[in-house]
Amino acid sequence: MDGLYNLFTVGFATALTPMNLLWALVGCTLGTAIGVLPGVGPAVTVALLLPVTQSIDPTGALIMLAGVYYGAMFGGSTTSILLNTPGEAGSIVSALEGNKMAKAGRGGPALSTAAIGSFVAGSIATVLLTVLAPLIATLTLKLGPVEMFALMVLTFAAVSAVLGNSPLKGVISLLIGLAIGLIGIEQQSGQARFTFGSAALLDGIDIVVIAMGLFAIGETLYTATYENHLKARVESLAGRFWMSKEDWRRSWKPWLRGTAIGFPFGTIPAGGTEMPTFLSYSAERKLAPPEVQKEFGKGAIEGVAGPEAANNAAVTGTLIPLLTLGIPTSATAAIMLAAFQQYNIAPGPLLFDTNPELVWGLIASLYIGNVMLLILNLPLVGLWVQLLKVPRPLLYGGIVVLATMGAYALRQNWFDLLLLYIVGLMGFVMRRYDFPVVPLIVGLIVGPMAEKFFRRAMSINQGDLTVFLTHPVSLSLLIITLAILIVPTYLKRRQNYLNKP
Amino acid sequence: MLKRVTGEQWIALGVILIGLIMAWQITGMSQSTGYAGIGPRFFPSVIAAGLLLTGVILFIQSRPSKHPETEDKTQDPDHPLDYETPHPNWRMFSIASAALILHMSLISTLGFTLAGTILCFGICLALETENKIRDLILSFLLVLGLFHLFKWLGLNLPALITGGVI
Repeated sequence: MDGLYNLFTVGFATALTPMNLLWALVGCTLGTAIGVLPGVGPAVTVALLLPVTQSIDPTGALIMLAGVYYGAMFGGSTTSILLNTPGEAGSIVSALEGNKMAKAGRGGPALSTAAIGSFVAGSIATVLLTVLAPLIATLTLKLGPVEMFALMVLTFAAVSAVLGNSPLKGVISLLIGLAIGLIGIEQQSGQARFTFGSAALLDGIDIVVIAMGLFAIGETLYTATYENHLKARVESLAGRFWMSKEDWRRSWKPWLRGTAIGFPFGTIPAGGTEMPTFLSYSAERKLAPPEVQKEFGKGAIEGVAGPEAANNAAVTGTLIPLLTLGIPTSATAAIMLAAFQQYNIAPGPLLFDTNPELVWGLIASLYIGNVMLLILNLPLVGLWVQLLKVPRPLLYGGIVVLATMGAYALRQNWFDLLLLYIVGLMGFVMRRYDFPVVPLIVGLIVGPMAEKFFRRAMSINQGDLTVFLTHPVSLSLLIITLAILIVPTYLKRRQNYLNKP
Repeated sequence: MLKRVTGEQWIALGVILIGLIMAWQITGMSQSTGYAGIGPRFFPSVIAAGLLLTGVILFIQSRPSKHPETEDKTQDPDHPLDYETPHPNWRMFSIASAALILHMSLISTLGFTLAGTILCFGICLALETENKIRDLILSFLLVLGLFHLFKWLGLNLPALITGGVI
């Protein structure tokens, strides 16, 4: 219960200063707005804010970024329910039932169950984070470079094989990310790698450029080329807004089940919120009594309550590996890690000893942020609905201007804008041919760390590669890695074999 | 025999090309190994090898099937989008690209506001806006607002004249 003690002494003392409260509010508001706007996700927003946060103190900046991350999850549900265009991956499932509810004039209760469910799940998950993070941090202190490298290999395998429909495409995306991560001066020997004689590449390619290029520019090019004819209709918020007694009765269990499914998924390196939200949806569908089961597909409130809770619990869960191990398990977490690195702070087990104010302030701000978001999203939901009426061309124009600004502000060099465009083209091709982008982002951020741990492991063990197999922890991690890579392919083969007449 | 190269095969060739460029660059690195025998070449070599291998596998996997008539009905689970993707509108793609390229070549002379207005309006055109004059005016106001917001936040952005308001 060390966690609770630290939370109340250090954490809230830090988070409740007027400046940090203000940053949390700015983050939550910005995050909600971004989550509501279709086509912009939390990863882009956090990346966009990186250059701006350089002039803020680290604690305030990270509190704001966490607010954005959280807020985007709350706001994303508004878009998927009223517009049927999920703003981010975790809201895809809520669109299934939520949009049907809105069409049937039950948009209000759908939005309420999503917001209250997110609040409940976020709060429970934050309590779990408070209690578990320090314990896990003490455990991970015992991990040496050998185990850390094995853990990173496992992360690589999980994000590339589990996401998307083709493990091969995931692995290619990962390798491209790792390759981009190599560009620049290599830290140990001071040698420039893959710079092609260009001085602008010596520092490597900035994560801001990659994230903006892939998400903002790539997405805009794709929309312009393929999706101009798509016209979405915003459902109006007619009918009663608040949840009825019946709605409450049907929602509270899915909220809790969603939390139970979402949180563990966030903590393991399986790439964020898609999996737990889908799992929660199918669980609710299976567990529902027969008369409710008929409602699924036509607007069942359980199908919004469960996945939204799972979504928020998973987002909080991703903070556990990020803070205790320094390993990001989703694109947004990877960019958050880049934010830590910007201040020369390395998340990991030592963070709890070296920067207690930062960690506990951040965790305490999550409790505060959850309350802020509930207020921002329920009574003020009408305000956000107005955002959905921004004409689409202007929305994308604005996003692209912000993206170019983020890339240009780094060094005032047009070369970064060229890189941004090239990465945008890459994002366009990846989107068109269904390559997942999360492995690329994770590879880019974790790759250089993995190389460092690998070389450290090698120098401790005189270059003996077998250490990865003789250390029990590392061996088990590598066996799990192998299983992740082989089992899905095997199951697919078997399925194809069984399906053959 | 392969009659045509599919889009995915072009990607596979691109991946192989990146692998080859990496391999060529690696040969130019000095082999200053640390005392454990792991130098700056090791990791790049592993990644280059991985790219070459996965590129080849993707190339082979995405061969156009010999019987497209039967394939169409039992949709290939690996490329469900191939048959659903609507026809691309390359004119709009070019407009968006032109806007981005104009912006990067003009930003240092015209400044953030004017170059940004061109970019924002160009993207509006690429997304088939229905109200061009409104979008042009709003593009200018939006970018001007952003310029001052971020100048106030301490970000250094180029103006038309040093210290100017646009």
